Amino acid sequence: MTLFHVRYRDTQGTLMRLLNAISRRAIQMPYLEVVPEGGGQRLSLTLDVNAKQSGQLMREWNATIDVLEVLASTSLEQVTQPKPPQEVWAVAAQSGALAMGQA
Amino acid sequence: MPRGAELVLRCLRHEGVDLAFGYPGGAIMPLYDALAGSGIRHVLTRHEQGAVFAAEGYARVSGKTGVAFATSGPGATNLITGIADAKMDGVPLVCITGQVRSVLIGTDAFQETDVFGITLALTKWSRLVTKLEDIPAVIAEGFYWARSGRPGPVLIDIPVDLMKAKSGSLAPVTFFPPQKPQSHAAPEWTQRVLAMLQKAEKPVALVGAGVKLSGATDQVRALLDELKIPSFATVHGLGAIETSAPHYLGMVGMHGTRAANLALHETDLLLVLGARLDDRVTGEPSRFAPHARIVHFEIDPSQLDRVRPCQIPVVGNLAETVPALQRAIAGAPRPDWGAWLAQAAGDERADLQPSGQTAPATQFLDDLFALLPPDAIVVTDVGQHQMWAAQRFRGSNPRGFLTSGGLGAMGFGLPAAIGAQLAAPGATVLCVSGDGGIQMNIQEFATLHRAKAPVKILIVDNQYLGMVRQWQGLFYDRNYAETDLSDNPDFVGIAKAYGVDGRTLTLDCMEPKNLEATAKTLREFVQSPNPELLVFHCPREANVWPMVPAGAALNEMMLRDKEEVAELEQTI
Repeated sequence: MTLFHVRYRDTQGTLMRLLNAISRRAIQMPYLEVVPEGGGQRLSLTLDVNAKQSGQLMREWNATIDVLEVLASTSLEQVTQPKPPQEVWAVAAQSGALAMGQA
Repeated sequence: MPRGAELVLRCLRHEGVDLAFGYPGGAIMPLYDALAGSGIRHVLTRHEQGAVFAAEGYARVSGKTGVAFATSGPGATNLITGIADAKMDGVPLVCITGQVRSVLIGTDAFQETDVFGITLALTKWSRLVTKLEDIPAVIAEGFYWARSGRPGPVLIDIPVDLMKAKSGSLAPVTFFPPQKPQSHAAPEWTQRVLAMLQKAEKPVALVGAGVKLSGATDQVRALLDELKIPSFATVHGLGAIETSAPHYLGMVGMHGTRAANLALHETDLLLVLGARLDDRVTGEPSRFAPHARIVHFEIDPSQLDRVRPCQIPVVGNLAETVPALQRAIAGAPRPDWGAWLAQAAGDERADLQPSGQTAPATQFLDDLFALLPPDAIVVTDVGQHQMWAAQRFRGSNPRGFLTSGGLGAMGFGLPAAIGAQLAAPGATVLCVSGDGGIQMNIQEFATLHRAKAPVKILIVDNQYLGMVRQWQGLFYDRNYAETDLSDNPDFVGIAKAYGVDGRTLTLDCMEPKNLEATAKTLREFVQSPNPELLVFHCPREANVWPMVPAGAALNEMMLRDKEEVAELEQTI
């Protein structure tokens, strides 16, 4: 599994274009999250993709108008573990015990 | 007091638009109401698909952004094939659609479709305008994205109430992008490419549509003239290299020349200049150019590494990157590739002379093309005639060969030729269509007649959906399922009903005793100041050769029919 982060301006259709790049390749999206970040939004998602698919997705996302940044990581133990319910996640994040990007 | 519709038209004029194609309807009536006196000429097509293909033809020849108007609902959905075509082939296009009133959006109102949502996967950029004051900025930004980088289609959906609303002092604006497209090639790339060239024994260059789109034809021609390496073009690259150039081997790909395909298969260094490397070019991707290292010049990074990883991606405008390479190689020592070029272009690799039923079809096109002036524009539909025309095309006009190459949309030819003619009123525009393709937008004879566009239309009529029939013959045991068109209508009669003159040449026009009369007919056809139709009755089971079957590598071409091969063997 690969974790991707895509930062983009929240303009009409941009999120759908990002997701369409995945769905047109019939790739499953087991986890995705969209949160406001720095005046725009950040799409975080895990995908079971090979290196070629990963490269294609990143290039396509980068070429999408209003996309600001595309990042990928393959160290994904955290995101591949079963997640706590949303409320627990939020409480834990507030307490600093669990946040995106921490092991 | 000016209204939103007038504001839209003023914004279009601000972007340099003086010609638009379209079809009116309820939700776009305010725009049509404001057209008179706007400075924009409108060409009424007889179907929205005709409008969008005509806008594409106009854009492909003029280099400007094509514009198409349509109403909401079915008007908007009829644009979709053309939008997809523009996306595939990198054509700058702005489609303006009317939408139902703002308060009705989302209610499944009469003639409401979510065209913004439907086209998200097909457009480069799109907007559903929600506020009157956004119109200037949306149009300015839409035109910017349609033209920038790899050009593409933009859709702007405007609710009818916004077009009716008073626009006050709103005025066109200019869009300033957040950042300019930049070349992402590493600074030392030219030296790396030079080093690869110096080691290469069999380098080749593949030229695609990007060369024309970026206006880099002269630069690429200069580079190839200097390198003197075998070069070839994709179907969209035709015209970018002069066909008389000694290093030019013709079209590459599924129906490419034998010489080009073999050179591409054998090369150890492939310079890809503005081509996507789609499957019609590569043959079986896993066996494409198996010995080659690849340097890929491309403006759109999303086009890279789709089929094969390249060793050096050069992301940027070819008009800048190609001269940079040429400067780097100037005066630098490099091998003499004369023997390789001689081998690649040698007579033993020439295509077989067309024979059997194919010979009259290709000979007819050769005879017709020989009469065209050098700056003529050939526009094709999709099918066998398209590939014969691409194979026989000898023009050197970089924007002289137009076709629906990526999407392969039948019905493209006639409306695109009308757009091409309006972009180049003084040019000879020849539309080569088939009996299947012409019927997909045959209503555009009416547009042709009204626009007084002197397009010459050739229908290569084999009374089949010929390319499908060819595949059925080769790969489906000659089961010609639903491809028979032997009950075709009288095309000349239809054209005449629309006010366009026409005539028919039956197959015996290619018999030696009739060639003189045929030549006279072709001359009159080409030289006519009016739109003209010529129907050529092509042998019914003529095939396109050579052919790389699906799943085969480029060096595994079929050169002619098995039956013909068997006959030849018996003769021998």
